[in-house]
Amino acid sequence: MLGYVRLELVRSLRDGGYIIFGVVMPVVMYLLFTNLGLAQGDKHDAALFTMVSMAAYGALGSAFNNGSGIAEDRAAGWLRQLRLTPMTPAQVVAGKVVTGVLGVVPSIAAVLLTGALVNHVTLTPGQWLAIIGLLWVGTIPFSLLGLGNGYRLTGQTAAMTNLATMLSLSILGGLWIPTTNFPAWLRAIAEWTPSNSYAALSWHAASGEVPGLREVAVLSSWLLVFGLYAMYGYRRAGKTA
Amino acid sequence: MENAASLANVTKTFGATRAVDGLTLSIPRGQTVALLGPNGAGKSTAIGMLLGLIPPDSGTAALFGGDPEQAVRRGRVGAMPQEGGIIARVTVRELLTFVSQTYREPLPLDRLLALAQLTALRDRRVDKLSGGQAQRVRFAMAIAGDPDLIVLDEPTAALDVEARRELWASMRGFAERGRTILFSTHYLDEADEQSDRIIVINKGRLAADGTSAEIKRVVAMTTVRVTVSGEAAWLGRLPGVTGMEVHGDRASLRSTDPDATVVALAQAGAVRDIEVTPADLEDAFVALTSTEPSTGPLPTGPSTGPLPTGPSTGPLPTGPLAKENA
Repeated sequence: MLGYVRLELVRSLRDGGYIIFGVVMPVVMYLLFTNLGLAQGDKHDAALFTMVSMAAYGALGSAFNNGSGIAEDRAAGWLRQLRLTPMTPAQVVAGKVVTGVLGVVPSIAAVLLTGALVNHVTLTPGQWLAIIGLLWVGTIPFSLLGLGNGYRLTGQTAAMTNLATMLSLSILGGLWIPTTNFPAWLRAIAEWTPSNSYAALSWHAASGEVPGLREVAVLSSWLLVFGLYAMYGYRRAGKTA
Repeated sequence: MENAASLANVTKTFGATRAVDGLTLSIPRGQTVALLGPNGAGKSTAIGMLLGLIPPDSGTAALFGGDPEQAVRRGRVGAMPQEGGIIARVTVRELLTFVSQTYREPLPLDRLLALAQLTALRDRRVDKLSGGQAQRVRFAMAIAGDPDLIVLDEPTAALDVEARRELWASMRGFAERGRTILFSTHYLDEADEQSDRIIVINKGRLAADGTSAEIKRVVAMTTVRVTVSGEAAWLGRLPGVTGMEVHGDRASLRSTDPDATVVALAQAGAVRDIEVTPADLEDAFVALTSTEPSTGPLPTGPSTGPLPTGPSTGPLPTGPLAKENA
């Protein structure tokens, strides 16, 4: 299975969609938002808040891109080819999930490094660790949603759906514009999105607060929903592979 | 010794289409077997069931006497589906290294590359290869684990003559190692040249099974051509004649006993420009797989449809073997 993960990571790193949406765009947007004074408030606070937002945005990009890869693999007959090797279907799925989990690391790292080195964000080592951990683990629901779409939909449709989902969740979740700037009705919706809960965990950690129970509960619920959805998509794809 | 592969009375229906209909066959180890049939004959479905990719509605598919999926997990089988498996953004070497690693005792990479004639292409991206080159990569994936059995679904479809020749050279290199090979094709010459045994299937059923010589013999579709003048229907009633077509003043008689047919022609004083052409496999194939088995009297009159241009393209009556199995 390690060989499979390695192969998939090599393929990701050569994938323009992954590099652009998962790594380059979040860093560029982070630099623009923070250095053109588009982010509100104290300069350091803005750099810190937007760093978390953009790291979350990038992580979403690569998590969903990984899911689109499944649809591409299915269209290319790659999943069937894998079924003809000694690898078990469970190993293939696990390999793809691990690839997704590892694939978000460069996205998070790129933005956090930009924050630390370019925008001089300062945090305690404990806070850094908390942010990294929360940003990383928190991508699992999104990976599952992306995989579910990848299994359920075909090639282009899956890629478009994942991209649209990723952008909607990013915007609605307040990753681009803080939800404090939203009208009240939109803010009410945003607070139920998985993306807002996901980023909020790290926003709290970055400002030295304890992550809220509400965010944990909302994100966990979405984890359950998306996990079931991914399972449903996988079962359905199995019938046609 | 156990069979490498077997199907026992398997049936598979997709919607209203019965793709495979009570098919039984067994392939002993060490044979190179061609599964021959027209498009839609059920070849891919039969192969999918053998490989454990498609569950049969009824009947049993087995590899090495056991569950196909188990044989795949143990690395005893390598397979090349009809299409797919060529993914973007990896080199030939990366792809084959990965596939090899999934097997317990794979072929060494250099050996694998040499067998599939890919050594010079090892650092190329697989999605940038020509059709023939990509097909050799897919072949390499099938043999990477050095399996006892390889199953190839239409391995040379859509390849040009040169690419087909190269792929068969690779295939022979692997077969020399005493492995069992099952391939499907709708190219008759390929079945004739590359296999020890030909299994003809049509409409999901077994139409014939034997060496190419046996199949030709069973169908015995020798053509006797003779120039006739006037009424020609009587020629259809000559001994051995199972069908005829008239093209201008030339009558083409399909005969299961050409000696008797020629003697009868001589006795009738009708030997004019006589020409006897032994069956080729294509005749046999067309006869065995003609879409509507003729159940009524064999055609004896001049054909009324478009005239055939040669022995291999005309509508032929169903051969005796096909009727036995129908």
